[in-house]
Amino acid sequence: MKAVWVYSESDAVSNEVASAAVDVAKGAGAEVQVLELGAQRPGVFASGGKLLLKGPPSSPTPGAAAEAIARAARELQPIAILTGATRTGREVASRLAAKLRIGCIAEVSKLGADGESIFGERNVFAGKAVARVSCPFPAAATVKVGAYPRLAGGNGGLQEKDVGAVSDPVKVVAREAKSAGAVDLKSAKVIVSAGRGVKKKEDLAILEELAKEMHGALGCSRPLSADLGWLPEEHHIGLTGVTVKPELYLAVGISGQLQHVAGMKDSKVVASINTDKDAPIFQASDYGVVGDLYQVVPAIRKALAARA
Amino acid sequence: MKVAVCVKHAVDETELKLDQGGRPVLGGAAGKMSTFDKNAVEEALRLKSKHQGEVAVFMVGTADSKKTMKEALAMGADRGVLVSADPAAIDTFRTAEVLAAAIRRSGPYDVVICSEGSSDTYSGQVPPMLGELLGVPYVGYARKIEVSGQSAKIERSLEDSVETVESPLPLAVSVVSEINEPRYPTLIQIMQAGKKPIEELAADAVAPAGGYRQVSVPSMSSQPSTRKHVMIEGTPEEAAAKLVDALVKEGVLK
Ligand SMILES: Cc1cc2nc3c(=O)[nH]c(=O)nc-3n(C[C@H](O)[C@H](O)[C@H](O)COP(=O)(O)OP(=O)(O)OC[C@H]3O[C@@H](n4cnc5c(N)ncnc54)[C@H](O)[C@@H]3O)c2cc1C
Repeated sequence: MKAVWVYSESDAVSNEVASAAVDVAKGAGAEVQVLELGAQRPGVFASGGKLLLKGPPSSPTPGAAAEAIARAARELQPIAILTGATRTGREVASRLAAKLRIGCIAEVSKLGADGESIFGERNVFAGKAVARVSCPFPAAATVKVGAYPRLAGGNGGLQEKDVGAVSDPVKVVAREAKSAGAVDLKSAKVIVSAGRGVKKKEDLAILEELAKEMHGALGCSRPLSADLGWLPEEHHIGLTGVTVKPELYLAVGISGQLQHVAGMKDSKVVASINTDKDAPIFQASDYGVVGDLYQVVPAIRKALAARA
Repeated sequence: MKVAVCVKHAVDETELKLDQGGRPVLGGAAGKMSTFDKNAVEEALRLKSKHQGEVAVFMVGTADSKKTMKEALAMGADRGVLVSADPAAIDTFRTAEVLAAAIRRSGPYDVVICSEGSSDTYSGQVPPMLGELLGVPYVGYARKIEVSGQSAKIERSLEDSVETVESPLPLAVSVVSEINEPRYPTLIQIMQAGKKPIEELAADAVAPAGGYRQVSVPSMSSQPSTRKHVMIEGTPEEAAAKLVDALVKEGVLK
């Protein structure tokens, strides 16, 4: 039986990619196998079966993961190998593709397949266009995070395969979590999102308060997390961050560059506050207020308080 | 220390036009150095200034992408290798294959640096593929690189954590934008860059194509914006009150 393999270092992402793999397997007349490396993972689900690769450590480096999967793939010949488009997942899929000399489609959603190829859709040119991409089997793919529902159960049968010990010349000597109190922007109904229009880190407090009063969560543009470090990385929305679809997205002091809009354009309602009447964010908004966030945000909080 | 840095002449997404059917018009589209590649060049230059040696720039591109090569040379790189192929017509694996062959041909290099992904397509595949094809250790998403002797200590920026790794040289890395602030070339540097050597090679001559079936892009499209574009006027207090009313009416605010 032809097989579509799924691997992610994260349980949650593995369960998303497993949903995507079902569509690929259906189109190609194949079955889905979810990979576990080194040890079983009870939080990882599979609609078909699981394949445990014995030999690599249970939390391998991307290099070790790619080597273990490549060894198994050379023997068992899956038609496709899918990972999540996380930083680690991109590396694993790319290294696998290079080792096996196969093509790799990137950051895809809406995956499918026919008898010969895998295909999907992805954002290109910072979200200005959507490309349909396709690759003949055997192929690798990285699946856009957040594009598929997480498989919530199912285990199928477990097969095992010994691939031998693998090692990576790159050694991990320390690991530090980026933040406590992680936000879950994906499930937030309202997102207040802060951009460079916010002058200092302390000023984020008023936006955090506003988010709370709107029963929502605080997000941001990339510079606030990546460059300024005011908020942890998982708060940043856009092409290189998270993709969100809240009921209400309120962009505050965000210019609305394509890379940011790519992460929030499917929100139900978008409102924005910006001092520049020509800011591109207004093109991506249902409601726009031209004004200083330091005046408009307190006024909104007052208006909300008056309603309560 | 010999450092190789890979750059891409990317489609400038801000200038990109769409045709009447909403398809991007790629023929004649304006290009620029892929945004984060400036961080890659900067990091290569910093390694050179600390450890001496040279920085060579590698690029797969067409003749009109020379502008990007010259920009990297103006920033301070010593020489360039331009492998001619249309990046839009070849996929990530073929790009990595050609780059690896060109790097091997003029190497060996102690460190090969790329950025995490290009600003036009952002697949992030070429750097790890390159590491594999060169057969060297690979570290992705570096936000700090310290080389001492024959090894490197690198901080990797992941979604939810920062990982510190150690690797022997030679190695390949990809960098994230927070690793540094790219310099702007001075006018004198821009003029001098014209005199720096650029070697030009044909892709098929450095790495014969074949034995592999590429990723293809059957079609591209765009979705027109369907937003309401209502601009709310008035003093901050008036605008705020109207905005809250509108959002309540939309049913998105309780
Ligand atoms: C490959 C690539 C990937 C990227 N990925 C992402 C991504 O995932 N997410 C992302 O966000 N960005 C991303 N970027 C960066 C993106 O291009 C923009 O640089 C970034 O989104 C700009 O952030 P900003 O809008 O907060 O800042 P700016 O562009 O500096 O805008 C600040 C805005 O605030 C307004 N302002 C100033 N003062 C006030 C005030 N007092 N009140 C109200 N408004 C005010 C200004 O008019 C301006 O419009 C990416 C870039 C590249 C090249």
